[in-house]
Amino acid sequence: MSFEPKIVGFLCNWCSYAGADLAGTSRIQYRPNIRIIRVMCSARVDPTFVVKALTQGADGVLVCGCHPGDCHYSEGNHKAMRRFPLLQKLLADLGVEDERVRLEWVSASEGQRFADIVNDMTERIKMLGPSRIPGLLQADRIER
Amino acid sequence: MPNSRIGVYICNCGTNIAKLVDCEAVARFASEHPTVAITKTYKYMCSNPGQEMIAQDIHEQALDSVVVSACSPRMHERTFRRVLQTAGLNPYMCDMANIREHCSWVHKDAAAATEKAKALTKAAILRVERHEALDRFSVDMCPSTLVIGGGIAGMTAALELAEAGYPVHLVEKKDHLGGNLTRTDLTAPYLDSARDLITERITRVQENRNIEVLLNSQVKTLEGFIGNFTAGIERGSPQADGKNQIQVGNVVVSTGYKEFDAARISHYGYGKLPNVITSFDFEKMLRAGRIQTKEGRIPQYVAILHCVGSRSQEFHGYCSRVCCMTALKYVHEIKSAIPKCYVSDLYIDMHAFGKGHEDFYRKTSEVKTVFLMYGKNEHPVIRKADPKDDCEMIIEVNEKLSGERIEIPADMVILMVGMESREDAAQVARLVNISQDKDGWFIESHPKLDPVATTTDGIYIAGTCVAPKDIPDTVAQARAAAARILGKISRGKIEVDAVFAEVDETRCSGCRMCNELCPYSAIEFDEEKRRSRIISAVCKACGCCVASCPSGAIKGRHFTDQQIFAQIEGVLL
Repeated sequence: MSFEPKIVGFLCNWCSYAGADLAGTSRIQYRPNIRIIRVMCSARVDPTFVVKALTQGADGVLVCGCHPGDCHYSEGNHKAMRRFPLLQKLLADLGVEDERVRLEWVSASEGQRFADIVNDMTERIKMLGPSRIPGLLQADRIER
Repeated sequence: MPNSRIGVYICNCGTNIAKLVDCEAVARFASEHPTVAITKTYKYMCSNPGQEMIAQDIHEQALDSVVVSACSPRMHERTFRRVLQTAGLNPYMCDMANIREHCSWVHKDAAAATEKAKALTKAAILRVERHEALDRFSVDMCPSTLVIGGGIAGMTAALELAEAGYPVHLVEKKDHLGGNLTRTDLTAPYLDSARDLITERITRVQENRNIEVLLNSQVKTLEGFIGNFTAGIERGSPQADGKNQIQVGNVVVSTGYKEFDAARISHYGYGKLPNVITSFDFEKMLRAGRIQTKEGRIPQYVAILHCVGSRSQEFHGYCSRVCCMTALKYVHEIKSAIPKCYVSDLYIDMHAFGKGHEDFYRKTSEVKTVFLMYGKNEHPVIRKADPKDDCEMIIEVNEKLSGERIEIPADMVILMVGMESREDAAQVARLVNISQDKDGWFIESHPKLDPVATTTDGIYIAGTCVAPKDIPDTVAQARAAAARILGKISRGKIEVDAVFAEVDETRCSGCRMCNELCPYSAIEFDEEKRRSRIISAVCKACGCCVASCPSGAIKGRHFTDQQIFAQIEGVLL
């Protein structure tokens, strides 16, 4: 059986979650690999959420917020944006490829864009193969 | 673990979910979880019998929390919270798994969709185990309303509120009230005068003591929350007391539309051919009482061209709704002013959907109008006529019904320009914290069930800033918005959501990082205790401070780390 990645999505309630809902009401089809968790704002996404998802077996993590300038909380997405490169850098040291952890802007009217992002991310991670993080943790435990 | 008697309800949503997701399998899977006390599937969980079933189970099974796997929580979370409340549980002991919008509607593979539905349900179960009872609190509702935009929508909403006895601040950017309707002559389909309509409104607004009209003014800032907004106004005429801040409980946004710029379609020659004019240019002519060409002659041939900028791939995909009837109105106005005038009407489809509109269409056909149908992607071509022709221009059109290429004479061509969202719509959206759709129109809370509310409590939208619409629909929306607000004002108090952030003083190090991060300045610093404190009524629960606190001292109620960690575990099964 081919590898089907598991992707955890953290979507802000106001834009991106609504955008994903719109994909639904518009019946826009996309890959079933993503599992969505709702947060009020992309700024709520604590880096530990991403790490937790990866250690629990996620092959990718997608964080979606409102487009810059459109944040329901005026500038929460800017904070997410500033936090994100730091997290990616840290994860890169652990061998997590940038493509596995993505921050994207999806508005409430961009159902198609959301579907496109999920499909694209699923394809890219399929090419990368399963995440090595759970394996690393396992090995680490045995060594100890 | 606080919650250990969970009821899990899997909705079939008719066939919306059940046609793809094996709901019984999801229910069996959920029932294996140790804290799940009961699992049920039902055709419509949101229906009255569905709600009653849950309420009954809460009593009989002594449930402490509930998971509903159904549609988006943005749709029915409120419904199910209310069920819990009526059954005596705290409304926050409920979570929804979105297995419709995020699952059955977007996938085709039944096995994969069922697995996903299981994962989303598991996440909700693990989350709800960690839910805590939260208390809502209430604050006073300010009875004043801010209305942004003084067109027919804004004036109607203002009048409705003011006549019920409540103060209204009506802010208009321009130096006069009336909006786009002041540029219109008669209205379709009854050929009443727009001027009469608007004059009646303006007079009543100006005479009403409860309405403060602010012309040449703009709302620059809006802070606060439902019941307690503070608006910063830039006034056209400065107040003696210099008061630029007003307190309001609710806001109606009725900023209207602008017309499509016909010059964007080069092949119609607008701006180049002097007698190719827009519907608004023509209205101006009608209001002045004389239909004439640029050269001052009475036109013998007038052609009306529909869908300019509307229903096109290149410009706007949507229908502007009012242009078809406006075009028919022009036929009547031209025929009554110049009885011998030869009027042709070039349309793609005749949209005569409203009350009295079909009759109006029939009546227009009876006054010898030449109707010509053209294809959506086959635009008529306008060219200058030869000197030997007895007309100014020739329009070539592939007439769809006859299948022939027809040439028609025209001394004047009226382009029926559509409506589009205003350039400042994005600015307004940001000001009041609402969203726009792909065409720039403001998005309603629910397109069918909650058309004038928005996702921001206390902000209502009415009229053509929401989408193109005619006067009756605009007035209905304005009155609906006013009615919604009156309902809120009449209660005197407003319940504030119990979801906000709070600081655990024992863990706070007093670093004050959160003070700066909060977009609402909701975090105070207690100098004495050297601890930060969150003003819950001002907090909007974005959770930015929660994710940023280096001591982990801030708890985002209802979105706690533990709850989200549990969801992560759940979705990964």
